[in-house]
Amino acid sequence: MQVYLPIAELSMNLFFLVGIGGAVGFLSGLFGVGGGFLLTPLLIFSGVPSSVAVASVTGQVVAASTSGALSYYRRGQIDLHLSIYLVLASILGSFLGVWIFGVLRALGQLDLFISLGFLLLLGFVGTLMMTEAVRSILKRRAGIVVREKLPNQHNWFHGLPWRVRFKKSRLYISVVPVLLLGFCIGVVGALLGIGGGFILVPALVYLLRVPGNMVIGTSLLQVVAMMAATTILHAVTSQSVDILLAFCLMVGGTVGAQFGASAGKYLRGEQLRALLALLVLAVAIRFGISLVIPPSNPFSMAVMGAGGAI
Amino acid sequence: MRRLLLAVGFAALTGPGAAEQLVSQVSSEEVAITSSFAGQTLTLFGSIEPETGSEQKYVEGPYHVVVTVTGPLQKRVARKMTNQFGIWINTEQAVYEEFPSFYQVLSDSKLDTITNPIALAENAIPLDSPAIGKTAAPYPQSQLFRAELVKLMERKGQFKSNEQGVIFRSDTFYFAQVALPSDAPPGPYIAHTYLFKDGAIVAEKSNGFTVRKIGFERFLGIASRQQPLLYGLVCVALALFTGWLGGVVFKR
Repeated sequence: MQVYLPIAELSMNLFFLVGIGGAVGFLSGLFGVGGGFLLTPLLIFSGVPSSVAVASVTGQVVAASTSGALSYYRRGQIDLHLSIYLVLASILGSFLGVWIFGVLRALGQLDLFISLGFLLLLGFVGTLMMTEAVRSILKRRAGIVVREKLPNQHNWFHGLPWRVRFKKSRLYISVVPVLLLGFCIGVVGALLGIGGGFILVPALVYLLRVPGNMVIGTSLLQVVAMMAATTILHAVTSQSVDILLAFCLMVGGTVGAQFGASAGKYLRGEQLRALLALLVLAVAIRFGISLVIPPSNPFSMAVMGAGGAI
Repeated sequence: MRRLLLAVGFAALTGPGAAEQLVSQVSSEEVAITSSFAGQTLTLFGSIEPETGSEQKYVEGPYHVVVTVTGPLQKRVARKMTNQFGIWINTEQAVYEEFPSFYQVLSDSKLDTITNPIALAENAIPLDSPAIGKTAAPYPQSQLFRAELVKLMERKGQFKSNEQGVIFRSDTFYFAQVALPSDAPPGPYIAHTYLFKDGAIVAEKSNGFTVRKIGFERFLGIASRQQPLLYGLVCVALALFTGWLGGVVFKR
């Protein structure tokens, strides 16, 4: 069944949209990430203009992360105090990100930057996750009990000025690294159309030493708030959020996420992380190849300025 | 003045045989984009008649008809990638103002048998006509990038030439079918008909039609432009609600 998308200005198959939303939602439920880094390239590949794809996926990420964030909130596994700092910094960052997005688009270098950004970011995070996961799988095989790193161990940057006590995370650290982390996630998220959960979770664990039971919930809340702000920002600046496209993806995504979450119970943590690392690396390699191999057609085109008539 | 008089006299001598006019009509003047819009085919039909006021009773062919259909104009850019330090980067570009977002050339036979290339180029009929779109780019690039832009538009299905697109039902009655794809850009369209006789244009006629979103699609399109903040807020509210509902329904 074809459905006309009023902002993208083309017809797409409803079942295809709900289907890819569901498939990516399944993966995001399984791994606890937003899935924007898979959905945005998929939509661009299906013919949706890249600006519409990036802007509409932000709406879908909000929906996909909301149900997760709510259930963590009910269990008391969100550090609201820490979230406020992260969210405010990331909203500032997303203003910068949306501005850079516009400049790069005018220069004609947006696609290059998106490819390079995905390649470096996903390549780096994927490699880190892979080595960590493989190491813990090997240790488990060898019968060594893995002792989790103590959350209270401090890094040098925890001692910077403006220290704040985060009661729920049992942390007394400087807000400078917290704000910096939020700001960077905001810039990257707005530029690449991703929630940044897969960067935030390791950063909270390894850099800020947030206890494990607080990490996922806090990260999900941060993704919901930041992506909500980015959706509004894209709607105001580029007017390229397609609410029908986003809604089709949301419906598929929320249903898929529930199945993904229950499937996740049958896999061990490090196996899950290894699979996610594989997925992240595959997307990174895909972008890397597109940069290096000669394009089938060196010419490309784009419409400049705001859209035409309604 | 004398030359003008001479010309008028000459025209009066040959006049009666060469005074045709086109009477034509598009099957629908408004194409409505609804939620299930999957493209639409319009029919432009017309007939060749003696000019009003002339004493001629009938027209004599053989005639050829060429119809060009032009969609709303946009500012479009063509870019070229080159290999720099091992990676492929957009390095050159040419911007075209008033470049049609949709262009079809329909004719009853091959264009080069209807008339000569000069007459075609003068009226900007062919797909890769240099008169399509204005650019500030210097000469060789302007031509090269335009040709590539046209190829890209053809691949996208928005530019098309069909040399069997006009069908004559009799010596003077013809029709042309214009297929609008599902991603036809909304806006004003102009179907311009050229009537050729012995390689020269003897009559022209323009018919306009509009492609516009209606109902809910139109409402959404207007809302996103005129109330972008409210539109964004509604989008976020919808996302939060869908996420919450999903969580409740599945009792995660």
